[in-house]
Amino acid sequence: MLAFISARQAGLDDPLRLRRAESTRRVLSLELNKDRDVERIHGSGVNTLDIEPVEGRYMLSGGSDGVIVLYDLENFSRKPCYTCKAICSVGRSHPDVHKFSVETVQWYPRDTGMFTSSSFDKTLKIWDTNTLQPADVFNFEGTVYSHHMSPVATKHCLIAVGTKSPKVQLCDLKSGSCSQILQGHRQEVLAVAWSPRHEYVLATASADSRVKLWDVRRASGCLITLDQYNGEKSKASSEAANTAHNGRVNGLCFTSDGLHLLTIGTDDRMRLWNSSSGENTLVNYGKVCNESRKGLKFTTSTGCDPEFAFVPYGSTIAVYTIYSGELITMLRGHYNTVDCCVFQPNFQELYSGSKDCNILAWVPALREPMPDEDAAKQRLNPAFEDGWSSSDDEG
Amino acid sequence: MDQKLSQLVEDLTTSGEPQLNPEKMKELKKICKSSDEHISHAYHLLMTQLNQEHAEIRFSAFQIVDELFTRSHQFRTLIISNFQEFLELTIETDHEQPLPPPKEVAQKLKKTAIKSVQAWHEKYGEAYKKLSLGYHFLKQNKKVDFQDVNVRTLAERRREEEKQKRLDNIYKEKAKRAEKEMEEMSQEIQDTLTEMENCFRLLMPDPFDFTVNDTELDPVTERTANEDKPTSSLSIQIADHQPSLLGHMDDEQPCCSKDLPSVSPCLIAGRNRDLNEELGLPEQKEIDRGERSEAEIIAAAATDYDDYETFVRNHGLGSHKYTLNLEISTDVKVRENEDNTAIINNIIDAHKLIRNKFLPSVQSWIQLFTRAGINDGCLRCAIDFKNKLETAMEKHKEMNIDYKERKRKVMKVSDNEDDEDEFVEVPEKEGYEPHIPDHLRKEYGLEPQSSPKALAKGMVVKPALLSFHSQSKKNEEELDPTCAAATLKLIRDKLPKLPSLNTSASANPEPAASGELDSETGKLEEERAKAPIIPFGLDLYYWGQDQPTAGKILKFSSQHRFWAPNEMEEEVENKEVAEMLKSRCITFSGKFEPVKHKCRAPMPDGRLCERQDRVKCPFHGKIIPRDESGNPVNPEDKMREEKKRFEKQAEQPEWQDPEFMREVEAATGVDLGSSRYSGKGKGGKNKGKKRKYPNLTDLKQEANTSRSRLEKKVFNKGAMKRVVKAMNRMDQKKHEKFANQFNYALN
Repeated sequence: MLAFISARQAGLDDPLRLRRAESTRRVLSLELNKDRDVERIHGSGVNTLDIEPVEGRYMLSGGSDGVIVLYDLENFSRKPCYTCKAICSVGRSHPDVHKFSVETVQWYPRDTGMFTSSSFDKTLKIWDTNTLQPADVFNFEGTVYSHHMSPVATKHCLIAVGTKSPKVQLCDLKSGSCSQILQGHRQEVLAVAWSPRHEYVLATASADSRVKLWDVRRASGCLITLDQYNGEKSKASSEAANTAHNGRVNGLCFTSDGLHLLTIGTDDRMRLWNSSSGENTLVNYGKVCNESRKGLKFTTSTGCDPEFAFVPYGSTIAVYTIYSGELITMLRGHYNTVDCCVFQPNFQELYSGSKDCNILAWVPALREPMPDEDAAKQRLNPAFEDGWSSSDDEG
Repeated sequence: MDQKLSQLVEDLTTSGEPQLNPEKMKELKKICKSSDEHISHAYHLLMTQLNQEHAEIRFSAFQIVDELFTRSHQFRTLIISNFQEFLELTIETDHEQPLPPPKEVAQKLKKTAIKSVQAWHEKYGEAYKKLSLGYHFLKQNKKVDFQDVNVRTLAERRREEEKQKRLDNIYKEKAKRAEKEMEEMSQEIQDTLTEMENCFRLLMPDPFDFTVNDTELDPVTERTANEDKPTSSLSIQIADHQPSLLGHMDDEQPCCSKDLPSVSPCLIAGRNRDLNEELGLPEQKEIDRGERSEAEIIAAAATDYDDYETFVRNHGLGSHKYTLNLEISTDVKVRENEDNTAIINNIIDAHKLIRNKFLPSVQSWIQLFTRAGINDGCLRCAIDFKNKLETAMEKHKEMNIDYKERKRKVMKVSDNEDDEDEFVEVPEKEGYEPHIPDHLRKEYGLEPQSSPKALAKGMVVKPALLSFHSQSKKNEEELDPTCAAATLKLIRDKLPKLPSLNTSASANPEPAASGELDSETGKLEEERAKAPIIPFGLDLYYWGQDQPTAGKILKFSSQHRFWAPNEMEEEVENKEVAEMLKSRCITFSGKFEPVKHKCRAPMPDGRLCERQDRVKCPFHGKIIPRDESGNPVNPEDKMREEKKRFEKQAEQPEWQDPEFMREVEAATGVDLGSSRYSGKGKGGKNKGKKRKYPNLTDLKQEANTSRSRLEKKVFNKGAMKRVVKAMNRMDQKKHEKFANQFNYALN
């Protein structure tokens, strides 16, 4: 650390290097911190989380009872101990609350005045954050599993929606209509994600075990259907479909640079694809336990040297290096299946939501305290003291 | 040190006791205190033990964890790092991972664990984030009520509630039905109660109504009524030693006929003088109708005796200084006679109805109502009914109605009494005549002697016919109280009624002869009862006859028509065949006699063998007399038993101590055959394991049910193999049969 700083001072190093090194270190030291808490609002499982990309300060959470809560993550109290406060929420008593489980929430990528939520009640709602009133409601024929808005789009304002029907719908916020349909999947679409690199590129994952990349300007068909065997096996039987997994594909995530795509399926596998060529990079992550019947929200780190993927793994969160597939650690803290996790890039914090109603904050551990500080800390925390009785015979 | 640590943990967790051994625990703590290294080692050991599928091991392990948790920070962090699994193993947070048996210990483990988690949370919750998370998880997701001692999960509680609700519904439904039933039945019950009440009133007026009754009824009717329903048995003891007229009539020879009529007028007079007592005479019940009507006449006359001077004179009492003690016994006794038969019948019916139908149903209604929690008029009504019915039953009991046997009563009126009349009138014969010929019997005024079978029947009908005339005449005589016949009649009535056969015997003029006859017939009867009944056969057909041809076989040695060897005997007597015609084989199986003795050999559990075999107990051999502690009484038996025991011991030489051998085996890995000596014949491995932790509850033992034993037999590898083989063979046969057909040949 000191070396990095001195090098930076001397101007020997790219500023990025210091930043990368430090953030990598911090990500590697993520742990459940007693000082950081998230207010307990949800009365049932937390399905989805999203942190707004503008400031990284506000977080949305969607519960399986239809409740949406907005948290403030920033700690202005100047104390290490902080509980993330719920600023406002769309509770059960709210007139426009979702009737059933909220599956996805997402901030409007440009500012915090608006957010979107989709639910099993077959609707997609566009909310005004300040009034907490829905600005627009899109109705669909089937339950909505997932929706996504392009984080980089400047020329369009489309929301891709994956519903129970095999057609991917594109809702245009400008016109307020479902303007476009992408046909190609055979079963429900469990996950959709826009590329953070190309504004017209969309990836969709479906229960028919396929992952398709689309260019939304081309209505005739998809760009690529990802093939787990890279075309080697499917040559033999040309009509055999290219499949990405051997089960339902329920998770989809681009790396932060948008060059690669991670998919996860119920065959307990995670795969990394080259998003431009659609090639399977054949990184082996080992078994990634996944029993979810619906979409699974996982995330990747940004600005680290080896990038990391944070993947819900039963009641734990597995941390993998993306390109080598190495399992770094398992974050244990939840008492039930973890459904979603979201990475806060500014402070390298991770938030995870689980069926046990908790949202846990995983915060980088502080550096090892100096020896002389030790005593002070001990005094601060009597709970950490050992309770051995002093006399020998008592034990 | 590590070795010792693991040994300690194992010892502590497999003790199977609810409390940890404090000595060992102290040692363990001392080791753990020495370094963090040991703590983590202990943690891993304990987690392994917590994973064991035995609640007792888990419980002990949890207790150790609890001890260490409060002492070591290191240990706390270790436990909390894996708190999910810890909760799963102790508090059963995962439904797919239930706590292992035995059930009681598991429940205890859960309870203690929840209590401990709460305590931990209070003490360390702030410092250890995951601990408080776990606590909140238990509290909010699993809805563990930390206050609830019973530690029921939400699902359990809900199930309980649902069950309760369902039960409530059922009860309510039932109660509604019962209510309807009660409505329907109430009228009936009311009617029956009223009927019974009225019957009681008829049989026995309320003691407080007597004065009213007296004034209302004219004495005559009252008198008869009183005879029917006496409320008290009365014994009058006249103070001076004049023989008691009423109470002891039975024992006394009536000295003069004058005494008799004095009875009733006295009573009547007494009543007329407002004795205010009901004078029911048990004796009077016996007075038959004829006599009573006579008494009534007198009674009617007696009403005129208003002056008691005349009364005294008329009755020859001489003075009226007699003290008259009336004892009114409280226990009521109502006898049944032909006058109150109808009433009593009614009572019996009502009583039966109440006992068999109303009371049980009312009882069940009350039960239903209380269970359903209905606390309104219905319940009160039902309880009222119950009380009323019970009082009725009580009253019935108090009445002490002496029922006649229903069957006998019917006969009695017609003939029984008449019979007696016949026999008594017969004049006593002085001389002793051993036998009276049948044709003379009429002259003697006797019925013709008949076989015992006919006797019973003849007695009933014939004499009645014969002496009808004399009887009617006699009845007339009896009406006259001054006549000796009336006295006689009275005595006769007092005489204890003997069984009809005996009466006939004693009344017989030739008691000796009849006695002889009696004994003879008795003997015959006895023999007849003894004689076996056999089906008709040839031997019976020829019973007592000599069969000339029986057992003879005609022999024709030659079939030729003309010539025959003449030296040949044509008939051959076959003894056997002859015998066969005259005799019969009857298998005699004897009579079953239940065995009264028991084996009583001492069993290993200290009890005595309860088997009741006739000769030999399948477990303990020949049954021999034994004392209370099961030792043989006879010395030779004792010797033999001793010898047998000795032999058994000798079979297993001392150096082959199974325990020792097993140890040697375990050390060397060579099978010395120790399992052969294991008493119960269990597998060596099982035995070894059991020996390892003898204090733990054996889970396998509990699984030893009839089902598991059957399973062992049915799913035995050998048995399966045999079945498969047999089925294959059958398949094969089919194949052989159709082997020449291509479609069968292939499979």
